[in-house]
Amino acid sequence: MKRWSVMVVILGLLMVIGHVERVQCQPLRIGALYPVSGALALLGDESWRGAEIARQMRNQKGGVAGKQVEFMKVDIPDGNAAKSEAERLINREGLKLLTGTYSSSLCLAASEVAARAGIIYFEQGGISDLITSRGYKTLLRTCPKAQYFSRSQVRFARDWVGPQINKKAGEIRLALVHEDSAYGSSISKNVEAEAKAAGVPLVSVIPYNAQAVDLSSVILKLKSDKPDVVIGVSYANDAILLGRQAKELGLDIKAFIGTGGGHSLRSFQEALGPAAEGVLNVDFTQYEVNTQFTPGLKEFVEMYRKLFNEAPRSGHSMANFTGTNVLFDLLEKTGGNMEAAKFRQTAAAFELKTGSTASGWGVKFDDGGQNTLADPFVMEWKGGKLVTVWPEGAAVSKPTLIRPFSK
Amino acid sequence: MELFIQVAVSGLLLGGVYALLSIGLTLIFGVVRIINFAHGELLMVAMYLTFWLFQAQHIDPYLSILIVAPALFVFGMGVQRFIIQPIFDSPALMKIFVTVGLFIALQNLALMLFKADFRTIQTSYSMATIDIGNINVSVPRLVAFVFALVLLAGLYAMLKYTLTGKALRAVAENRVVAQLMGIRVQRLYLIAFGLGSAMTGIAGALLLPFTYVFPTVGGIYTLLAFVVVVLGGMGNMAGAFLGGIFIGLIESFSGVYISPALKEAVYFVIFILILLVRPQGLFGRGKGTEEVGLK
Repeated sequence: MKRWSVMVVILGLLMVIGHVERVQCQPLRIGALYPVSGALALLGDESWRGAEIARQMRNQKGGVAGKQVEFMKVDIPDGNAAKSEAERLINREGLKLLTGTYSSSLCLAASEVAARAGIIYFEQGGISDLITSRGYKTLLRTCPKAQYFSRSQVRFARDWVGPQINKKAGEIRLALVHEDSAYGSSISKNVEAEAKAAGVPLVSVIPYNAQAVDLSSVILKLKSDKPDVVIGVSYANDAILLGRQAKELGLDIKAFIGTGGGHSLRSFQEALGPAAEGVLNVDFTQYEVNTQFTPGLKEFVEMYRKLFNEAPRSGHSMANFTGTNVLFDLLEKTGGNMEAAKFRQTAAAFELKTGSTASGWGVKFDDGGQNTLADPFVMEWKGGKLVTVWPEGAAVSKPTLIRPFSK
Repeated sequence: MELFIQVAVSGLLLGGVYALLSIGLTLIFGVVRIINFAHGELLMVAMYLTFWLFQAQHIDPYLSILIVAPALFVFGMGVQRFIIQPIFDSPALMKIFVTVGLFIALQNLALMLFKADFRTIQTSYSMATIDIGNINVSVPRLVAFVFALVLLAGLYAMLKYTLTGKALRAVAENRVVAQLMGIRVQRLYLIAFGLGSAMTGIAGALLLPFTYVFPTVGGIYTLLAFVVVVLGGMGNMAGAFLGGIFIGLIESFSGVYISPALKEAVYFVIFILILLVRPQGLFGRGKGTEEVGLK
């Protein structure tokens, strides 16, 4: 009888200890929303891979605040799915923090749900200005917003092209050529605002229809306005057509700066051949970048190859790798606490200087939750490759002033 | 002044491209009296064929005309024989729907075979120009312009001087009477559809060096070709050429002097105004010829 009671006491103790241990080992659960099927699948999946690599690396090093991290990955191919999956993760799974999303429209839908539930939404890929301008206190974004693309372009024109052609900010003639759907039109407003802020005169703004079979009138209008630097916002086919007709009609400008999109595609380079040489582009950090400026990038690429048996398919994975690491750093600081007010407060006080993350971005969140130190870099087509040329720290080679579309 | 001349030159060259696109359509339209909504898709097929010949067989696009034009001739005859002829006695609306069905089928077939990528080819003359002072003339566009003129002249001569041509004109004017005179109408329809398609094939091969092809490219060209054909006067070959030049010039001038975003709006407004005054088009043969799909 005595032995029995001892056994029971010991068993009971063991159970209590076991329970305590289980509570301590309970992983941190985070909802990861990415489109991995449907039209956005390719880059949605690429984005997810970046986040997943960050998680595995962190878990190998002992996790966050002493706990392993778990992602509840959900597929959100469209806006309806984004909304309903966010609701499910919050209400049924009881998650306290969501991240994602690659696509701006999906982020807008999912973060709306999170905001209503008072839960942090941590965006790493959607660039629409609208995401952080809604005034939600539950939203944070690590990647650049659309406006920063225009900011980089105008600053490059002023700070690098200007001195090269012996012109002060007020003397540089800047022009904008943009396709006239929502994409191009929203960027055009940003360029106008940034040019004004930088004191660079915008001498012409030329919208055009991306479906047009001929863009000679765009080029001729540019010729008559005589700009030094042209900023272009194009899809794939119109970027090619513009380039070809610029060459045919002998457009004489100092520099052409694209805005991601068509000017970053391999098909653009293939269609134009040598005429693409010297064309500049502003985009998320790519892999042809100075690795001293991007600590952790090499390890990231190694891990990527090991896990997925191929080279990264685009810079999206790197952006999400960086973002997820920032998320983990913040959770480390809160001790794993995901409560919105506390998390946001910690984020506001958190700072990393430029050139200290895998994508080279710094971290400093503003009141809207936007990371103000995430700057898109300027790249240039050189020898058939798009290489980072500006800012200096991130550059692998110096920018060269080749008259675009001339060769 | 220099800009003005350059705008005019660019407009003329663009007009040549539009004319080239439309000659085949206006032939099919004038003789067979069918609104062929799959016209742009015929062009797309020709462009993919040219693309494939260049990429896989290394045949220059201009040389590939010798293959593309006969191929499209046969393809066009096939469409007429197996798709349009069987429903020839049904209402005009049915025939329009058949061509719409054809265009959707061809588009999706191309999407399946070639994916949605934009394909271009790089030839030595793709971006070549002839420079006269500061005026630049694009070589491949100039070639397209010249071909449009040559095709037009050839077609005109054929219609005027050969027996087949005379028979085609007879069928175009009055199918029933032509049949009574012993003309084998169905056979001539086959020839007309084949010829129209072959011309569209030539247009495709000439366009590819300086534009791009993707599965849904046809939609853009179909609309343009219809505007040109209706403006020029349906079934009128010279009208199609002049209509093309007219639209090209309007587009070029309104693009530079108003705004590139508004150039389509400008030429459609002018198009509507012209049709209000002259429903038969600028060079139409008079009232009645604008009716389509006669049974």
